[in-house]
Amino acid sequence: MSETATVSRPAAEATEPRRRGQVWRRLRRNRAALAALGVIALLVLFALAAPLLAGLEGQDPTTFHNDLVDSATGGVPFGSFGGAGAHHWLGVEPGNGRDVFARLAYGARVSLAVAVGATVVQIALGTLIGLAAGLGNRLADTVLSRAMDLVIAFPELVFAIALMAIVPDGFPRPVLLALVIGVLGWGSPARVVRAQVLSLRGLDYVSAARLGGSGRWRIARREILPGLAGPVITFALLRLPVNVASEAGLSFLGVGVRPPTPSWGQMLSTATTWYEVDPAYVLLPAGLLFVTVLAFTVFGDGLRTALDPRAASRLRVGTRRRAKD
Amino acid sequence: MSKSRALYAATGVALLSSLAVACGSGGGGSGKAGAKAFDPKDYQGGTLTVLNHRDQGHFDPARQYTSGGGKIPTLVFRTLTTRDHTTGGPAGAKPVPDLATDTGTPSDGAKTWTYHLKPGLKYEDGTPIKAQDVKYGIERSFAPELPGGAPYLRDWLIGGESYQGPYQGKELDSIQVPDDRTIVFHLRKPEGDFPYLATATQFAPVPRAKDTGVNYEKHPISSGPYKVVSNDQGKTIVLDRNPYWSKRVDDQRLAGPDKIVVQSGLDQSVINQRLAASTGADSRAITTDTDIDASVLAKLNGPQGLAKRVATGYFGETWYLAFNTKVKPFDNQKVREAISYAVDRQSVINAIGGTAVAKPATTFLPDQKAFGYTPYDYFPGGTAGDPAKAKQALAEAGYPNGITITLDHTTTAGTGSGPEAATAVQEALKKAGITVRLHASEENDYAEKTQKPATEPGLFLQSWGADWPSGGPFLAPVFDGRQILKDGGNFNASQLNDPKVNAEIDAINQITDPAAAAARWGKLDADLGKRALTVPLYHPIYKRLFGKDVTNTYVSQWNGLYDLSRISVK
Repeated sequence: MSETATVSRPAAEATEPRRRGQVWRRLRRNRAALAALGVIALLVLFALAAPLLAGLEGQDPTTFHNDLVDSATGGVPFGSFGGAGAHHWLGVEPGNGRDVFARLAYGARVSLAVAVGATVVQIALGTLIGLAAGLGNRLADTVLSRAMDLVIAFPELVFAIALMAIVPDGFPRPVLLALVIGVLGWGSPARVVRAQVLSLRGLDYVSAARLGGSGRWRIARREILPGLAGPVITFALLRLPVNVASEAGLSFLGVGVRPPTPSWGQMLSTATTWYEVDPAYVLLPAGLLFVTVLAFTVFGDGLRTALDPRAASRLRVGTRRRAKD
Repeated sequence: MSKSRALYAATGVALLSSLAVACGSGGGGSGKAGAKAFDPKDYQGGTLTVLNHRDQGHFDPARQYTSGGGKIPTLVFRTLTTRDHTTGGPAGAKPVPDLATDTGTPSDGAKTWTYHLKPGLKYEDGTPIKAQDVKYGIERSFAPELPGGAPYLRDWLIGGESYQGPYQGKELDSIQVPDDRTIVFHLRKPEGDFPYLATATQFAPVPRAKDTGVNYEKHPISSGPYKVVSNDQGKTIVLDRNPYWSKRVDDQRLAGPDKIVVQSGLDQSVINQRLAASTGADSRAITTDTDIDASVLAKLNGPQGLAKRVATGYFGETWYLAFNTKVKPFDNQKVREAISYAVDRQSVINAIGGTAVAKPATTFLPDQKAFGYTPYDYFPGGTAGDPAKAKQALAEAGYPNGITITLDHTTTAGTGSGPEAATAVQEALKKAGITVRLHASEENDYAEKTQKPATEPGLFLQSWGADWPSGGPFLAPVFDGRQILKDGGNFNASQLNDPKVNAEIDAINQITDPAAAAARWGKLDADLGKRALTVPLYHPIYKRLFGKDVTNTYVSQWNGLYDLSRISVK
C-alpha cells in the first residue's frame, strides 16, 4: 500500500512533463481516441469559422427564402435532399427557407460554447466543493455531501426549465444556458473529487506535508490539487457530451436559445414534424449531435485509459521503473 | 365582468392545439357524401370515435363556451335555437329553431325576446321539457361555482350583472315563464343578435330536480339524440342513444351512429397518423380539433386517397399583431403603419403550416359574408411586405435611422402566436430597419399578461375568434372602449376608447336584420382599419382528416366543424 503511495506522488508533481509525455504516448497508440480528437478539432473549426463558411456559401443563418419552399404542402423545400444545391449546400429549412448549412455552423457555436461553458462551471464548482468536503471537518463533509446528494437527486431538466423561464429577458441566453446546466450539474464531479481527495489525504506525502507545517490551503493547492488533475480532466471530457445533449434538450423543449439564434437542439425540435417529408432536415442536426457526443465520449474514454492511475501504477509497479524516484 | 376566461376559451381553441375546431366536407372540402344521395335511413348504427388533442373540459351546459366543445355538446344539449345543421358552407352560418318554434320574436326595439317550445319534447328519462327548465339552465350559468360560459347573458339580461345563480334561492326576474311552453327575455339594451346567443349551451334545459351542481357534468340530463353513459372528467366521454329522442321532434340532427366515443389527450401527430392509416376502429373516427400537418399534406394526393378524406372548414377567426397604443412607440400611428407595411404575411403563413391551413388577412373581420366582410388594405405590402414604404412611414414617424421594438409571443410551436410566426415577423421587419427583440412566455402566462392592461406588452401576437358569425361579437370586445377590462380578460389590446366607435357599436346592436347589421359592421371595420390598430396576419383554414368509413361529413362556416349530429359511420 505504501509503495503505491510513494509512486503516485511524483506522478503528480516532480515528473509532470515526463508524465505528460507518457500520457501522449499512450494516447497516440489509441487510434479511436486520435480520430475522435481529429473530429473534435474539425467541429471546433466548423464553429469558429461559421461566418467565414457561411460567407463562402453566400448565405446567412437568418434570411428567409419563401421562394424555395412549397407553401401549399406546408412549406416543404423544393428539390431533393431538402433543397440542397450549389446555393444551399445542405438545403434549406422547411417552412421558411433559411440556409441549413449556415444554421448548422452557427448552431455549432452555440452548442459547443454552451457545453464547454457548462462543463467549466460544473467542474469548477464540483472541484471546489469536493475539495472542501474532502479536506474539511466532519460537519463540513456531512453538509456538503448531503448537498451533493441533493443536487444529484434533483430532476435536472425540470429545474432547468423553471430557471430558464424566470430569468429576465435581457440576460444573454447562451450564458444563461451554460450557467443553468452548470449550476445544476456540479453534484457528480464534486462526489468524484471528494472521493479522490479522501484517498489522497491519507497518503504519506500528504501527512508529511502536514507534519512539516503546511496549512490546509497549502496542502489542498500543492499536494492534493495536482493529484486531482487526471480524474477531473477525464470527468470533464465525459461530462461535455452530456452537456451538449442537455443544451439540445432544453432548446428542443423551447426554453433554450431564442430565435432566430440557431442551435442544434432547436433545429431538431422543429424538425420533428418534418421527419417524414424532409428527412434531410432531421438527419443533419441529429447526425452532427451524434458525431459530437460520440467524439467527445471516445476521446474522453481514451484519455482516461491513458491517465488512469491504477493502470499506470500497475504498469509502473510491474516494471519497477518509477520506484527509484 | 369576466370576459376573460370565456373569451380566452374561445380563442384558446385555436391558440392551443394547432387550430381547434373544424372539419367535414361538402361545404368547403370534398367528402364522400357527394357520390350518391345520402339517405339517413341506410346509415344507422355503428360506433363513431372522436380522436382529440384537447379534452372536453367541463361537460356541463352552464360551463361550455359558445364555440367550445367541438360540436359534441350539440349531441346532448338541445337549445332554444341552433345553427343550421342541415347544410354546409356559408348557408349554415345562420340560427334556426331547435327547442323553440322559431328563432325568437323581438319586441320593444329588440329589448324583449319571446320563444315558444315545440310540443312533445322529452328528456332522456321520458319527462317533458318545460320552459321553466330552460330558465333554470340559464340561471345556473350565473352561479359562481359554474364558470366558463360566455359573458353575454350577464351583460345583456336585466339584473344579470349582480345575479349569483339559483343556488341561493333567488330567481332572475328578467326571464319570465308565463306557461310551460313560453319563455320571455328582457334585455337592458337592444340586441339584434339574441337568436345567435340562444344557440349557446346555456340555453339548454336543466331539470331542477336532477341538478347536482358541480357534479352535474358527470351526467348531464340529455335533451338531444345521445345521453352520457360515462364521462371521465372530459377526457373520455361515451355517448349512447337517448330512447326518448326522435327525428319527429328534431329536424336538425340525424344521429346515425348508435354510439359515440370521445377520446382526448392524444398527440396531434398521432391523431393524424391514425386517421391517415384508418385501420380498425379508426376507420370510423374523426377529430374535431386537429388540423392535418405537413406529413399528411405531403401524402395528400398519393395512392391512399387521403385528399378525399379531408374536410375543409372556415371558422371566423383572425390572427393579428396587436398594438398597445399606451406603450411607446406604438402610440404613434406612423410606427404602426410602418409595421403594417413591413409585415410578410407569406412568411407567417409558412410558419404555421402553409397556404393549406391559412390565407392572408388584411381586414380584421373574417372574410365571410355573415360578418359583414368589407375588403380593404390601407397599408398594402403584398404578401411579402413593402420595406421601402415601411421605411418611409418610419421616417415620417421620426425614426429615419430605424427603431428597436419588442415582440411578445408564446413558446407553443407551430401556432400563430408561437416562436416560428414571431421569427417570421422579426425577419420581415428587419428589412424595414425595425429591429425586433423577441420575448417568449408560456401560454397561460402569456394569456394572463396580454389580457391585463397593466401588464400588456406593446406588441404581441393575438387571435380573435367568433362567438357566432356576426360582426358584433367580433368587433365589440376588441374595439369598444367600455370593454377595456382592468382586472384581466381584456381583449381591447389597443385600448381604444372612442365615443364615436362606442356609439356606432350600440347603434348596430339595435338592428335585428342580420344583413343590414353586417353591412354596418363591415363599414365600422374598414374605418377602424385606417387607424392601424392591429395588423391582421391571416385567417385560418381548418383541414381535418376523417376515417374511410365516415360519411356525410360537411362543414358549416359557423365554426368550421364537421357536424357530428349528421355524420354516419355505416
